[in-house]
Amino acid sequence: MHIAVLAKVVPDYEVPSMDFELSNNRAHERFSRMLGLYDENAIETGIQLKGKTSSSLTIISYGLESDIQFLRKGVAMGADKLVLVKGTSDDAGIIAQNLKQAIDNLEDVDLILAGQQSADMDRGVVPGILAQMLGTAFIPQVGYIDYKNGDWTVSQMTATGQRELEFQGPGVLSITSIPENVPRIPAVRAIFAAKKKPVIKLNGIEQGKMPLQEISVEIPKIESVCEFIDAQDPNEAVKSLLTRLSEERYI
Amino acid sequence: MKTLIIENIDPKKIGELMTVSRLFCDIPDIIALGEGQIPGLFGKAWQTDKTVAANLVSSVTAIIKQENYDVILMSVSTLGTGLAGPLSVALSAPVVTEVTFVHPDMVIERPVYGGKAIIKQKLESTPAILTIRRKYFETAKLEGTTQSVLLDSIDEKVKLIAEKHEQTEGIPLEDADVIVSGGRGIGVSDNFTMLQHMADQFNGAVGASRGAVDEGWASPTKQIGQTGKIVAPSVYFAVGISGASQHLAGIANSKCVVAINKDEDANIFNRARFGIVCDYKKIVPVLTQAIMEDR
Repeated sequence: MHIAVLAKVVPDYEVPSMDFELSNNRAHERFSRMLGLYDENAIETGIQLKGKTSSSLTIISYGLESDIQFLRKGVAMGADKLVLVKGTSDDAGIIAQNLKQAIDNLEDVDLILAGQQSADMDRGVVPGILAQMLGTAFIPQVGYIDYKNGDWTVSQMTATGQRELEFQGPGVLSITSIPENVPRIPAVRAIFAAKKKPVIKLNGIEQGKMPLQEISVEIPKIESVCEFIDAQDPNEAVKSLLTRLSEERYI
Repeated sequence: MKTLIIENIDPKKIGELMTVSRLFCDIPDIIALGEGQIPGLFGKAWQTDKTVAANLVSSVTAIIKQENYDVILMSVSTLGTGLAGPLSVALSAPVVTEVTFVHPDMVIERPVYGGKAIIKQKLESTPAILTIRRKYFETAKLEGTTQSVLLDSIDEKVKLIAEKHEQTEGIPLEDADVIVSGGRGIGVSDNFTMLQHMADQFNGAVGASRGAVDEGWASPTKQIGQTGKIVAPSVYFAVGISGASQHLAGIANSKCVVAINKDEDANIFNRARFGIVCDYKKIVPVLTQAIMEDR
């Protein structure tokens, strides 16, 4: 069994809105880079499945060669190897084409996991595009995964609860965060070992661009000015808060 | 432009998509999923009780090609997200997800970088697929119902084994006028009871940040944020919530945010209208009592 996890290196998503800056319509280069928010949940899910099913686990990424140093964190969490398709496009169609190339190259992938959405473009659409290109099923917002007698059973987290779904054969699942897939912190030994694990580099292709023209990227103005209420006396603070909420007709 | 809505039978979701559809056409068509009558008046309507997106791709693609639609609208949900990517490939169509605004000339707005920036993109060809973020468009009043024909030829790639709807008492988060939400700063699961008590006094609902859900203190159905529920209450109490941009993206349409946090540098204060820098355990019980006495 072979599990692939798609991961993307993104600009620091924890930068507060007030400090966020753009450069050439993208997050400023001065922000540090890191593995995507939900991609780490997907890697953790993959590692747990690897243990349960005695699988091998490959991390696949599309991005810059300099991203390898950040992807190694995912390898240190427990992956066996890393495949990087070199490219710089933000187009969902091109990214999916390149990921497909990497998966075709691996030949024997049984399950593909991805984070629910990347922490930069926030689209959540690439896994679905990839699944259709591969001719497999796509299931978004998956929490739990199990494998029994050739069937994958997954829990899909919906707005009102959960669904239990079952399918056979390869599939693409986008993973959401649940308490059970909070990413592990790799041990120091694993971090050093990850540096010796194989990295396959592929040249990217520029096919499959979507007919979408980027017009602009702008930072929205935040007009909220916080009025701090003195909290030395909780009774007075509550009284002031309720008065102000009432004066401004919020309650 | 010929427009198709694909949505579960949910008057609020369909109402929001109806509002968006009016930017493209007079009367849209619909593929409605689930049981019951289709609320609102549509040109043509198809219906099925099958709701797993992966099984609908082929039949929906066939209808879109047969009827030559220009715009396909869905909500951001497991259905919309499950269909958007596959339909994009099947139809060689551009797809834009999490749409928050539609300009003339097919220019679409959506957030990027966790809502810290907004991208505008122009759709250069049709059909085009859009998933619409909840609570960014008014809910159109749906009058009457539309008779449908059966959507057939459903694939069975994925089998639905069971579906559990969580029992929630009181007002759903999306409809609540007051929301009391807790984050990691709450400390332990049990303290959510305190927030529930406060929300009850406001006839409101309790929400949670991703951090609190990851800790297992609140159900994923309570998660508010970019990848959880999008809410638009009159007052949003953020209790022990740091204010990550992904959380703020879910409360962007709140009229007033009240932040209660002992960390005066917490980012939530940059979004809040009112802020109280204090241990929430000193404020929440007093606030709850004050509302009780005022009723």
